[in-house]
Amino acid sequence: MLRFLLRRLVFGLVVLWVVATLTFVLLRVLPGGPFDRERRLPPEVMANIEAKYHLNEPLTKQYGRYVAALVRGDLGPSFKFIDRDVTAIIADTFPVSAILGILALSFAVTVALPLGLLAATYRNTWIDRACVFLATLGISLPNFVLGALLIWLFSLKLGWLQAARWGQPSSAVLPMITLAAMPCAQLTYLLRSSLLETLGEDFIRTARAKGLRESVVLFKHAVRNSLIPVLTLLGPLFAIVVAGSFVVEFVFAIPGMGRFFITAVTDRDYPLIMGVTVVYTAILVCANLVVDLLYSVVDPRMRAH
Amino acid sequence: MLLRLRKYPFRPILVFLCVLAFYSCNRTSGEHGEKVFRVNLSTEPPSLDWSLATDHISFNVIANLMVGLTEFDKKLKPAPVIAKSWETLDGGRKIVFHLRDDVAWSDGKKVRAQDFEYSWKRLLNPKTASEYAYSLFDIVNAEDFHHGKITNDSLVGVQATDDATLEVRLKYPASYFLALTTFEITYPQRQDVIEKFGTKWTEPGNIVTNGPFLLAGWKHENEIQLKANANFFLGKPAIERVEMFMINEMTTALAMYEQGQIDFLDKDSIPIVEKPRLAKTPGFKFVPQLRGEYYGFAVDRKPFNDPRVRKAFAMAIDRSVFPKLLRGGELAATSWIPPGMLAHNPKIGLVYNPPEARRLLREAGYPDGKGFPPVTLTYNTLEYNKIVAEAVQGMWKRNLGVLVRLENQEWKVFLKQLLNDPSPVFRSGWGADYPDPDNFTKLFASYSPQNYSRWKNPRYDQLIEQAARELNEQKRARLYNDAQKILCEEDVPIVPLFTVTESTVLNPRYTGLEYNSMGRLVLRDARLKKATSEK
Repeated sequence: MLRFLLRRLVFGLVVLWVVATLTFVLLRVLPGGPFDRERRLPPEVMANIEAKYHLNEPLTKQYGRYVAALVRGDLGPSFKFIDRDVTAIIADTFPVSAILGILALSFAVTVALPLGLLAATYRNTWIDRACVFLATLGISLPNFVLGALLIWLFSLKLGWLQAARWGQPSSAVLPMITLAAMPCAQLTYLLRSSLLETLGEDFIRTARAKGLRESVVLFKHAVRNSLIPVLTLLGPLFAIVVAGSFVVEFVFAIPGMGRFFITAVTDRDYPLIMGVTVVYTAILVCANLVVDLLYSVVDPRMRAH
Repeated sequence: MLLRLRKYPFRPILVFLCVLAFYSCNRTSGEHGEKVFRVNLSTEPPSLDWSLATDHISFNVIANLMVGLTEFDKKLKPAPVIAKSWETLDGGRKIVFHLRDDVAWSDGKKVRAQDFEYSWKRLLNPKTASEYAYSLFDIVNAEDFHHGKITNDSLVGVQATDDATLEVRLKYPASYFLALTTFEITYPQRQDVIEKFGTKWTEPGNIVTNGPFLLAGWKHENEIQLKANANFFLGKPAIERVEMFMINEMTTALAMYEQGQIDFLDKDSIPIVEKPRLAKTPGFKFVPQLRGEYYGFAVDRKPFNDPRVRKAFAMAIDRSVFPKLLRGGELAATSWIPPGMLAHNPKIGLVYNPPEARRLLREAGYPDGKGFPPVTLTYNTLEYNKIVAEAVQGMWKRNLGVLVRLENQEWKVFLKQLLNDPSPVFRSGWGADYPDPDNFTKLFASYSPQNYSRWKNPRYDQLIEQAARELNEQKRARLYNDAQKILCEEDVPIVPLFTVTESTVLNPRYTGLEYNSMGRLVLRDARLKKATSEK
């Protein structure tokens, strides 16, 4: 087990390094620099700015500087938010994204589990169809439409909730639902199909033939086995949702990290882009590692491997 | 468990709805007192250090925290603030500012001339790497100091001769220099504070300011809080607290305004499609800006190396459609210097004249557009730009028989191409840093880094140079008229399209808020209307 963990950790570090390097290279290939503005700067002024951020050095030296800083956990100064370190920006914004993400994912799981279960148990009845309809809605409604709809209904029409901004507990409700919609739908679908497959297996028939109660058959034998694909999906879903969503953060004015995946690129804020990418990769690697560990909890067969 | 689920299949959802209802009952609608004013900044200000800030969002915060030597009056002329008076000596090469002695920093210390000297030299210091350093290059030795040719900053021509006197020596009589002292980058700074806190000096608790409001809080990416400065030397503002939000999505900001949770929105928060509806509501206002939009031609290549072709394209544009399409009260413009500025002259420029445009194009060898090489009009991706480009494309097709291809590019890609290889026709614009025609006309000087069309005319260069050094306003205006005629009638490297107008909407309970022609939001005199405050 320890060897497995160590191997995965080393592998994770390699992934991090590859992603960091690729991001570094891709950014330099991208046309346009961080200080290109409508108001173009005289060359001498530009030279001073480039010297301040070491952009005048050869790329190999910049890369070396970047990797060395990364190892120390220093992500460098932001080019756009002058005087602020990327580490500080991420430390400010990531917790917000993480709280919202965890809320959304918990909400998604809380809703998806009963929906998937109901749909599979009452296969081909109106209950199944209603659940599948809800899931389809969740997948096909884009975030920004759902967000706008929720604001229109709960803020403008009913006046129950504030339209946007972060601060009070109630301000998390609408963005949480919006962010949860897609994962919730995916999880419902997956659980439903996985459960249907399991329910057709021989050991279920055996269990029923033995005269076990339907609830025991379902929860003790079927659900547990059907959770494996759901767990596989939960890893990346967790990373996606926790790293923040550009659309949800924009629509609801949430001060999270997700917006930087877009704005830092349009601003060509190299350190900030690299910072959020590295953090995102790290979350993804960790989430997958946790999922791998959870497999062995859910499925005893995995422990043998 | 299953039985329970069967009986209550939607229980988790019910529980959630209860939680939602609970929170909604707890919402704090009455939290904001009467004297809290809420505006939307739309994004996080990149910097509150006025030597490093470059964007209007940062300046909109700074403008409420600080005052400088002068500020604009209603006619856009520099009026005294910290400087109670000034003298122009030595034929315009020397300006001596006399400072008031009753202006205090927020920590109680007096604002001194040395604070200005420090701030200006910090702006010019190569280590500061300020983007606006070049703005002060007219000062003696400033440029050499910035380039590192001089390291001794005492040679730079700005000096506090005593606590209340600031002496500025210029390389030549720069008629516009006084206007520069209204610009936030010239505001004073406290050396002790900056040296003590380093890059963190702009954070609440560290920052020391001298303006109507104090920085009370800054939740990054979320909110900035200001509170009235009781010791402000021009009197405490009527508004006790200001909350500045960072809501990026226009429709969300508008929803919050309509819910009564925001009191003021500017162009960054009002979607184009909503303008006609909002224009009918009280509190809505169009504010013409010192900002012009234009199309430029790459004059160093065929087909736009021929002035007749450029003139034909200019005369085939019917500018009256822009306000109808953009719905923002835009002002059609044939000349470049915008209304409100010295030397604005609407009579200059080529007006809409399709027959003459066709004649010129025929003369250039392209009768009815036949044989015209394929050309592209490039603009940066923005709904606003797209609307204009599509309209102009239609006009050129209709009036000249030339179908121009449209291409939109992401902002930084667009800027890179403008610099390296501008497309035959490109969109650009300019907003004033300070309200002087020098700021507008120098863009197209042969040495200007913004001269994307690569047009060069020594006569134009000479005229604007002469105008910059001329102190007599009438003579200046005449020189700029001549320069504008070359730019917009004779050589036509650019076609001015319109002057931008901003839409703003203010909660009708308030009055006194100022949103000026350079997009600055000034909250100093904002207050509740009498009738409302008495309620």
